[in-house]
Formats: sequence, structure tokens, C-alpha cells
Amino acid sequence: MRTLTRILAVMLACMMLTAICPAMAEETVTINFWHHYSAQSAENETLMNVLIPAFEAENPGIKVNAVSHEWAELHDKVLVSANSNALPDVARCDIAWLPEFQKMGILVALDEEMADFTDVSGQLLDSAMSTAVIGGHYYALALNTNSKIVFYNTAMLEAADVKVPTTMDEWVEAIKKLSGENANGQQVWGWNEPALAGWNICPFIWSFGGSLTNEDQTAATGYINSPATVKAIETFAELVKAGGITGFNAGDIPMTDGFGTGRYAMMLEGPWKSAELAGAYPDVAYGTAPIPAGEGGSISVLGGEDIAMFNSANKEAAWKFMQFMTSEYAETEMAKCGQIPVNKAALESETVKAADYAPFIEAIQTAKARPTVAAWSEMDNDLQVAMNAVVTGEKTAQEAMDELAAAWDLLLK
Amino acid sequence: MITKSRINRAQIMGLLLPGLLIFGMFTVYPIIRLFWMSLCDMSFSSMLIQPFAGIMNYQEVFNDSTFWTVFVNSIVYTLVTVPGQMALGLFIAILLNGIKRFSVTFRVINYLPVVTSWVIASLVFRYIFNTEGLLNYFLWKILDVTSGNIRWLNTRWSGLSVAMILGIWKGIGWNMVIFLAALQQVPQDLYEAAEIDGCGAWKKFVNVTLPAIRGTILFALIELTIGGFNVFTSIKMITGGKPAHQTDTLLTWMYYKAFSTGKFGYAAALSFVMALSLGLLAIVQFRMMRNKDA
Repeated sequence: MRTLTRILAVMLACMMLTAICPAMAEETVTINFWHHYSAQSAENETLMNVLIPAFEAENPGIKVNAVSHEWAELHDKVLVSANSNALPDVARCDIAWLPEFQKMGILVALDEEMADFTDVSGQLLDSAMSTAVIGGHYYALALNTNSKIVFYNTAMLEAADVKVPTTMDEWVEAIKKLSGENANGQQVWGWNEPALAGWNICPFIWSFGGSLTNEDQTAATGYINSPATVKAIETFAELVKAGGITGFNAGDIPMTDGFGTGRYAMMLEGPWKSAELAGAYPDVAYGTAPIPAGEGGSISVLGGEDIAMFNSANKEAAWKFMQFMTSEYAETEMAKCGQIPVNKAALESETVKAADYAPFIEAIQTAKARPTVAAWSEMDNDLQVAMNAVVTGEKTAQEAMDELAAAWDLLLK
Repeated sequence: MITKSRINRAQIMGLLLPGLLIFGMFTVYPIIRLFWMSLCDMSFSSMLIQPFAGIMNYQEVFNDSTFWTVFVNSIVYTLVTVPGQMALGLFIAILLNGIKRFSVTFRVINYLPVVTSWVIASLVFRYIFNTEGLLNYFLWKILDVTSGNIRWLNTRWSGLSVAMILGIWKGIGWNMVIFLAALQQVPQDLYEAAEIDGCGAWKKFVNVTLPAIRGTILFALIELTIGGFNVFTSIKMITGGKPAHQTDTLLTWMYYKAFSTGKFGYAAALSFVMALSLGLLAIVQFRMMRNKDA
């Protein structure tokens, strides 16, 4: 009898709880935040134990449910969830995904819907915010950024009596001097470029004063086949043919190995390379420098992540969370884990100035984003095919870029 | 009598149903869905709507010059690797069929490549054929037959050749086992009769062995042709399609189109073109074998 009473009591308690819960839920808003900070990383620790508790304390009534995904899985998960109306409120997206998601019509145009958008975006780096502009509207806030700078093998430059190149003319000369054979009779190259995609080629095009498309990203003719762009491609291809640049062929020595063993003298790489070299080739002495300046200046390419809001979101709560994540406080906390901030105030902090990635900060100020169009992956593929035709001598730079311009015009329509 | 057959029918249905359901869910439905996808515009801009587009995707496939490059690559890969591994597999099977001692040992040794992981074997082949790999070291520094490093992986046909050598090396063991089983079924008295007729070893092979194992040859031919068109891992790992998709095959190209450019409609159409080509090839192969019968 006593057991029966207990069971009844527990059941009654459960019923009362379920009755109360909806009432509580009305007051508390839960926003879902998908990201790709790896589950075991310091970034995730900071997010879960520092940032979200701080945000929830500041904003009573808003709970954040953060879910970690693998990088590639997150992209596909968003595609699938869009089809089943199961999108999160907010997500941290690779800058390359934004145009695709925008084209699918699942992102909120922040500059149209948020009254204080200009105030918020004004606190963030313009170059990083340019990754979020699609068709004249802003679909995200920049969250963290990265770029590439020159890594050079100090010993190789000293042995060849070459100064670190600061202009594109010096760069060409340096590569020629650094290439050839080493003391062991092995071939060495002045420059490594691991692929011929936009991520690799854009810095040269821009620094030579060329461009990929017009400002509105609606036309390529006159830009990707402009004299300055063609000059950049020609210079690059001539250096490849002269044995000064390699790395993009299937049979080549991998980048880090080639640099670590003194076979590649210079390369353009991101902040992650320092850790890689420290792990695999701790003895190699190297220095870093900005990409050499040409007619267009010293312009590298932007990478990084943005934070975006989906259509189905609780907009008010989601916007508060996005503002928090890009605030000086949150960005400084994340900077401690190696994330390069985009918040101007956070960039001035001591944490950032003392960080390993400090040399990259300057490059980021002038770096450009690749076109923010949904067709970019196809355009990027066309660019690689065209570049391959030029470096193998199948086509001249002008011919290849003229054809590329016509193909891009169709994709940009 | 009628009742009994009814019970039987109900029993048969009951027993078939689970299998049919699984077959329908995981084979028939995906094929139908895929066919529908190939007729819809499925790219980033239309992922949520997926409007009907008729034969647009098929037109895009056939007008795409890269499609023809990868299609030719797949055909060449199949034309080289299928006869290659069949001939070598059959040759080893005949040798093994003739010996009594160490037969199992040799069978195991020849079968080892089959059970090796594709990824690992591809990586090893990549290290061998790298511009600064083992083969170049051997040819240049040890044998001194070349005057420098040869760029095996950097061009279309030499890159594909490396994948083809891997394909043959990895397929010999499977062919050996299949042909060995077939050879052991050939009646000995046929060979004895041929000997009495004065046939030498080659004539016995052509007139007795080959006709006797024709069924097995057809089976292997069709299986391997499908396998040849399905080559993926080795290409992805060894050349990654470089340079500029010149060494891509149908599957690696399909994967690229679907998952890198979001063109799921194009990829679906491509898979149907591929299935159709394989079906046609199988019919031709059946015909050829039947003609020999007559």
C-alpha cells in the first residue's frame, strides 16, 4: 500500500512539473548556436565555460544551446536542415559558405532588419566585414579572421645573399636567385604554392593591381582579363616555367616538408603554419614578412569565420548573442585561444599584441575577400583550370584569362 | 488444393516481405529519387524549391568538356585494367593449378593485395611515384638509366597509368581465386582427349581451357567493368584529379560536382549516364560471349 502511495505521489509530482514547465518556457528563450570549434578545443572551453555563462548572466531570460560540429559536417548539416526547417538561430560559418546560404534564402539581411546594425558593424574591421556583404546587404557579422603572409627560410636567403623582398620586382629576382640546386645536388625552389586556386592566386592578382570582378561582383570581363591581372598571371607562370615556383603538382614535395627541409625557400601561409612547423620541423629558422607590394599594394587574401542569423531565428535574442560574441570582451577572450579578433578594440589589447599571430594583424587590415557569390566554387574551379593551362604553356595568360572572363560573366549573371 | 496453395502464397509473401521492404527502401526508392533529382534544378539557389528542369542537367553533362575528359579516362582505365588483371590472374591461376606443393602459400601471397586497404595502397603508390619518390631514386641514382626525376604524377596519362598499375596489382588476386576455382572444374578427360589428338599446351589452353571457363570469364568481365567505372579511392588519393581534372574519373568528378559545387542535379544526371553506359556495355559483353557460343 505504501509503495502504491509513493508511486502515485511521484506521478502527481511529474504531472505538476509538466504543467509548470510551459509556463517557465514562455519566459525563457533558448537560442540554438551551431559552430565548428572542435569539441575538445580551448575555444570550445572558453565558449562553454566563460562566454555563454557571461552572456546568460547579462541577459536573463535567454539561454544558449551551443552545439559543436565538424567543419564539413556543419556545412552539409545546414543544407539538410534548411530542407527540413530545422535550422538553428545562429551559426558560426566559414566565410566561403555565406554566399551559398544567402542564395538558398535562409539568412537574415542584418542591415535591413536590425536598427542598430551600423553601430555594431562599425566596431568591427571593414576588411573582415566585407566577407559578409552579398548583393549590397550584410548577412552576417565578422567573427574571427586570418590571412596569409610570407614565411622565408632565413638560412637559404642568407646563403643566396637575398634580402627579404618588399616589392614584386624584388620578389621575382629573389625567387630566381633562390632556385636551382643545393649543395647536395637536389633541386630547390624559391617559392612554394600548393595549389592554383583563388586562395593561392588572388594575393598576386591584387598586389599586381589586378582584380577578379567589378565592385558589384556582376561582371568579370575587363577585370580578370585586365592588363594588370594578366601581368600577374604571366609573371607567376614564367617563374613556374623557369623552375622557381612549384608545389601544385600531384607529385611535388608537400609544402611543410619542403619548407622544413630547405627545398622551398619561401611560401605564403596562414597563422596555423607556425604551430605546424614547430611540431614537425622545430629546428628550421624562419622569418615572416608581408606579401611584397606591387602596383596594387601589399594585398593578401582573407580567411576566417562570420556569425550569421537564420530566417527562423528568434531575432531579438539571436541579435543580442551575435553582438555579444563580437564584443570586445568576447573577442579578447577568444583571442587568448588563438582566434584573431575582428573587433577593433580587441585588436588593440595586450593579449593580441603579444600573440603569435601579431605579424598577421597588419596583413589583415589590407587583405581582401574573395568574391562573395554563390557561384564562387565553380569560378574557383575555372580559375584553377585556366591557371593550369597557362603554367603548362597550353595557352597564353591573355587567352586563358579572356576565356575565363567570358565563363565568369555567365556565372555571375 | 486451392486452400493449400493459398496458404503457400501467404507464407511466401510473409517470407518475402521483409526482404522486399528493405530492397524497396534502400535500392528501389533511392534510384527513383535519384532519377527525379536528375530532372530537377538542384543547386544552391534552388535547393529548397528544386524546380523541375527536364533534361537540363543531361544537356549540361553532355556539353561539359570536362565530362568527356573524365569519361574517356574511365573508359581507358577500364580497357587497361580489366584485361590486364584478368590475363595476369588467369596466368597465375594456371601456374598454381599445375603445382601441388606450396599451392596455398602462393595463393595467400597473391591474394594479399586484395585485402590491403585501398587508401594505404594508394598512399604507398603515391610515395613510390612521387617526383622525388622511390622509383625515380631507383632509376636515377641506383640504375642510372634516367638523367633526372621523371614527373610521373604531374600529367594526365602518366598520372592515370599509376592508378591503373595499382588497379591491376590489386585485382590480380581476386581473378586468380575465381579462375582457379573454374579451372578445377574443367574435366581432366578433356585434356586427355586433346593430348591423344596431338594438342600441345597452347592448343589445349585455347581449345579446352578457355571454352570451359567461358562462363567465369564473362562473370569476371562484367564485374570488373563495373569496378573499373567505379574507381574512386586511388584517383582521389594519388592525383586528386590534378592537373585541372585531367586525371579525374566519372566518380571523382561526380563527387566534386555534388559536394564542392552543390550541383546535385548535375551529379544525379551524371550517375544515370554512367549507369546507362555500364548497362550497354554489359549487353555488348553478353552478346560477344554468346556469339562465340554459336
